[in-house]
Amino acid sequence: MPGSPSIEAVDLARRFGEAWALDGLSLDAEPGEVIALLGPNGAGKTTTVRILDGILDPHRGHARVLGLDPRVAGTELRRRTGVLTEAGGLDDRLTLTENLLTHARIRAIPGAEARRRAGELLERFGMSAQADRPAQGLSTGERKRVALARALLHRPDVLFLDEPTSGLDPAATRDVLALIAGLAGSDGATVVLCTHFLTEAERLCRRVAILEQGRLLAFGSPAALAAGLWSGLPVELDVGGPLDERSLARLRTARGVTSASASERGALVVVDDRQAVPGIVAAVVTGETPVFSVVPRPPGLEDVYFALTGRSGIEP
Amino acid sequence: MNRDWAAIRAVVARDFTAIRRAKAVVLPMLIVPFLLLVVLPFGIGLAARAAHGADLHNILSKLPGGIARPILRQPPRQQLVILVDGYLLAPLFLIVPLMVASVLAADAFAGEKERRTLESLLHLPIAERDLFYAKVLGAWIPAVLISWIGFVVFAFVANGVAWPVVHRVFVPTALWVVMIVWLSPAVAALGMGVMVRVSARAHTAQEANQLGGAVILPLIFATVAQSTGLLLVSLPIAIGVGIVVWGIAITLLSRGAARFTRDRLAASL
Repeated sequence: MPGSPSIEAVDLARRFGEAWALDGLSLDAEPGEVIALLGPNGAGKTTTVRILDGILDPHRGHARVLGLDPRVAGTELRRRTGVLTEAGGLDDRLTLTENLLTHARIRAIPGAEARRRAGELLERFGMSAQADRPAQGLSTGERKRVALARALLHRPDVLFLDEPTSGLDPAATRDVLALIAGLAGSDGATVVLCTHFLTEAERLCRRVAILEQGRLLAFGSPAALAAGLWSGLPVELDVGGPLDERSLARLRTARGVTSASASERGALVVVDDRQAVPGIVAAVVTGETPVFSVVPRPPGLEDVYFALTGRSGIEP
Repeated sequence: MNRDWAAIRAVVARDFTAIRRAKAVVLPMLIVPFLLLVVLPFGIGLAARAAHGADLHNILSKLPGGIARPILRQPPRQQLVILVDGYLLAPLFLIVPLMVASVLAADAFAGEKERRTLESLLHLPIAERDLFYAKVLGAWIPAVLISWIGFVVFAFVANGVAWPVVHRVFVPTALWVVMIVWLSPAVAALGMGVMVRVSARAHTAQEANQLGGAVILPLIFATVAQSTGLLLVSLPIAIGVGIVVWGIAITLLSRGAARFTRDRLAASL
């Protein structure tokens, strides 16, 4: 349906025994969007993917993926989704090509077409030289690449990627991230990226869902989440060492300053906007303290994540 | 509901290929059939060739008349080999489909968890029931085929080695035909039915094999072995025992199928 989201989840919850692995997750994703599920191990990311792809039933809430209810139309839905599981799930006893072709057959891709696509994908992921060798003995990175190739074989409309870059070397990580960006961009696939790497989520995703112990702490763009947490613009003031109390007191009374606290190299000052920056420089140099740099530092995803999970970073 | 046979065939073919390459699974599985169906008839045949004819009247007098009478009509040199290869080995043969089916079932169900391939399988567009049938067929068909191939080898060995004594093809007997065609597929299905349940609780194929092989299957085998005394009584009774075994196997498999849901499997990952 044009205009409708690819993924829509409302109040999803699932427990195992008495423990809630997921408790009240609501989110959505537009066609062609990459969203991230961010959180440490046990946050509920994999459970979310399993519910959205219809292999686990929610104990509360409901979801629609590509307009289908995963609980009711799971098989139909899974024809249009691709999943890279955290373990990859390659059968060690089969060759790389056989691993791909088995899934192709189950997905009813005609033989010749499946072989062509499998060859292309293994080539694209730099694995064609090993195509006829068993998966046993592949490195973690190689397994991830083959499993990703397998997940793309049927050109899915929605792709769930569970920790796609864990275990990859930097070059392979860069390639995979570029590929994910390409999938969403040119191919128009919706991508759900489960990760605990904040930098890759920030690089790829317009919106992120931050989970902890099964609870959704926040969902939105990093900028919007930051705006909800902090008013004003944090500015890092470098004076070569922690700023003294008298200078801090002057800063706090300067126009447009919301708060100021000493930091290792000077002070962290929160101002209303960048117009207040000349005033804080003036307040410091008045006390004959040299100012080496003043850098506005809008809060990034890392700040948002740590502020929400209550670990460290800029205090809201 | 319509079955997706293409998907079922794809899973079965994958399991066949994987098993064929798993020497650690295949070799131990072939040892018992080899001993039972090659070494034993070979030894019995050689013994019959060397001996002048053992006195089997005591043993044969304890067997049902339907079996004992035709053996007693044979020359004394032939009686031992016909008794052992033609009759007594037949019930023992049932250990082959039972064991092979249980090993393959453990690999097909618990082995998927152990190899961490189950989750990617669950994310495929194949209905739960189709996946269950595929996994069952992927273990049951090889178990039956190995039993049948084993029997053909046995027949060649038994007839070949004993030829200088018997001078004719004496295996298969009617009892063997019932064993091969009717009972061995049933016993393989029974082994599958047990191991499907056991594998649901196990996390590795080894754990499933230990649980199934150490506790449950010996009990079943003892029951089957006891009941196989009946098999020697008459062919209709042998066929009846087969009906009972099929009934238990189908019940176990149906209950296994009802519990084989994506949700349950995914929750166990």
